Amino acid sequence: MAASSEEVLLVVKKVRQKKQDGTLYLMAERIAWGPEGKDRFTVSHLYADIRCQKISPDGKAKIQLQLVLHTGESTTFHFANENSALRDRDAAKDLLQQLLPKFKKKANKELEEKNRMLQEDPVLFQLYKDLVVSQVISAEEFWANRLSMNSVNHSTSNNKQEVGISAAFLADIRPQTDGCNGLRYNLTSDIIESIFRTYPAVKQKYAENVPHNLTEKEFWTRFFQSHYFHRDRISTGLQDLFSECAKQDEKGLKSMVGQGVKNPLVDLQSLEDKALDEGYGTAATPSTSNSNRTVKENSNSAIIKRFNHHSAMVLAAGLRKHGWFSFHDLGDWYFPVGAIEYEDLQQEDGLKTVSLNLKKSDRYSHGPVPIQTQHYTTSQDIINSVILVQHEMANYKPCLTQVMSSTMASSAIVALSPGGVLMQAGTQQAINQMVPSEVQSELKHLYTAAGELLRHFWSCFPVNTPFLEEKLTGHLEEMLQTAYNKFHAWQTRRMMRKT
Amino acid sequence: MASEDEVSLLVVVVDVNPIWWGQQAQREPEFTLSKCLDSVMVMGNSHLVMNRTNKLAIIASHCQESHFLYPSKHWKAGDAAGDDAVSSSRDGKYEVLAVTNDQISEEVRNLMARTEVKGHQTDTLLAGSLAKALCSGQEMKSRILVIKAAEDCALQYMNFMNVIFAAQKNSIVIDACVLATDSGLLQQACDITGGLYLKIPQKSALAQYLLWVFLPDANQRSQLVLPPPVHVDYRAACFCHRNLIEIGYVCSVCLSIFCNFSPICTTCETAFKIPLPQMVKPKKKKLKPAT
Repeated sequence: MAASSEEVLLVVKKVRQKKQDGTLYLMAERIAWGPEGKDRFTVSHLYADIRCQKISPDGKAKIQLQLVLHTGESTTFHFANENSALRDRDAAKDLLQQLLPKFKKKANKELEEKNRMLQEDPVLFQLYKDLVVSQVISAEEFWANRLSMNSVNHSTSNNKQEVGISAAFLADIRPQTDGCNGLRYNLTSDIIESIFRTYPAVKQKYAENVPHNLTEKEFWTRFFQSHYFHRDRISTGLQDLFSECAKQDEKGLKSMVGQGVKNPLVDLQSLEDKALDEGYGTAATPSTSNSNRTVKENSNSAIIKRFNHHSAMVLAAGLRKHGWFSFHDLGDWYFPVGAIEYEDLQQEDGLKTVSLNLKKSDRYSHGPVPIQTQHYTTSQDIINSVILVQHEMANYKPCLTQVMSSTMASSAIVALSPGGVLMQAGTQQAINQMVPSEVQSELKHLYTAAGELLRHFWSCFPVNTPFLEEKLTGHLEEMLQTAYNKFHAWQTRRMMRKT
Repeated sequence: MASEDEVSLLVVVVDVNPIWWGQQAQREPEFTLSKCLDSVMVMGNSHLVMNRTNKLAIIASHCQESHFLYPSKHWKAGDAAGDDAVSSSRDGKYEVLAVTNDQISEEVRNLMARTEVKGHQTDTLLAGSLAKALCSGQEMKSRILVIKAAEDCALQYMNFMNVIFAAQKNSIVIDACVLATDSGLLQQACDITGGLYLKIPQKSALAQYLLWVFLPDANQRSQLVLPPPVHVDYRAACFCHRNLIEIGYVCSVCLSIFCNFSPICTTCETAFKIPLPQMVKPKKKKLKPAT
């Protein structure tokens, strides 16, 4: 019977299955049916096993629900309650529709993975057909190594690129007039996420206040109303939710400026406006006292400060992975290390190397010409030969009209024509032109299958567990024998075809 | 048709080893060095005539030096052999060819005249000639044809291989026409640079072979039916016996090749330890207590 902890979600009475009356129970993780009057379930299927459900069309007299499992089996339930059959069936169907997707993912993922791999790699697919379908290797063994290999690849490909933050996200909010003196701000979840990533202070405030003190709507209303958000962020002393944020931002800005930019290629400190003379550029002395500043200058500098801060926060948010970040990251990002360091100019590491000590280095210069017994020429022979040639060449005059006789020439032409003495090697066809391509491809498949089996064989070494030993002596023997028989069968079949 | 302004250089390296040719004259008087040079000249002339922009160079590979027969440095215009009844310029030949032939014959005569007999220098300096040939063909599209007579010299192996790889890098094709014994080094050269290797069965028909097989350049060869490439023996020779081996032992320190295993490499004196195969211990069966 059902486990006591299982939650029953729906009970439908008068449901027939295989011409028997009974009751259908939909539980948290499975669907089950028990015949009338009996205590136990005869049919029970986990939602994970169910591939899909089908219903009989509306016009039909019989109101049925069919469950198709992954294995291909199907179970049909006939709702036989005179009054409420249709409603019952629909209720069951709706519940199943909600439940099935939750369980589907877990079971299918592996299967999908396998299917994907088979589809992507035709060689693998062919191997699968040759080995598993013809029952040389069992499917689990085939997938045993492959899935682990691919799970590594998969995890890296899952880290999709994170979408960055648009610098203009605040401006994009673009308030619309409500018609009567109000403003509408359209906040999408993207914008909210951007605000949280860029201004962690605001995120903190949100976490503190919502949903305990304020609703989300109120929070954002206050956000937009506060001077924190407004252009001229002059602290008016009002106890605003966000005045703390403003103070934190000031602090952050000050520390950023304090750290400076660590870029050896650029010296920001020495950049300043230098006026050539009167009338060229600005005056040399910067105003240092705050009291001289006009209101306008103050607000200008405030805007510029906010602007810089905002840009810095946006950039930093892109660099930061989790939680708070250090302003260090910004500096490091800007210059490539290779631009300022040269390996050759640095101190030598002083790695001790062992020098090669060759005793008979002349061996290398001798080519692969085996030492044959040379024709022994006496020095008298040498002298005679040289004198003969000298004699001959002393009176050398080119006689180009009698270089060779026509018989000689024609015999040479015969030797060079196809079929001649020198052209024999060319008539040997390459073996891949003589064998038909389908035989070649079948042979290739067999070869790859044999390679796969060998891979299983070699992966068993070194044999340090009894399981491996067993696998080697028992299982693999069989596999190799089957493979060999297959190959033999193919060979005889091919030979028969030829004759 | 090759484009008008493309200069194509053919460098012919002729093996004029006087010792071999002297012996050859005794073996086969109908094919001597003169005939060989005549055939080379015919081919050179043909090459020059094929295209106005074709260039020719001929190097004689002697056992004492490698000498450019053409173009010659010492040529002076008025120095044609005046004694002859048939002067080269009188038979109506294309001037360039006449001058070429005269230069070649003059240079070869001088070269042979200054040959000194030295017992220990009997090998043709082929590697050096090839190196000179490579240097001369730097600025233009060039190819090298080697006409080989004497046997290979094993001492020139390193230089030879360097020359071959340099030619390959510069896309210079090396062809070989071998008169007597097969040359493994030239087979490798032709295989590596993409040239043609041919050992001719009849020396007297040398001119015909040169014109048929070696006159067309690399581009035109794809459209002709020519002798197929030979199978090259790339086996290495072991350092101990100089036998050509297919499977051997290589020292991991100095890369010298041996045909048999020895615990110490004789070239670099490194000692090697090969672990003995593990003895498989027989399983001890537990004796069941007798009940």
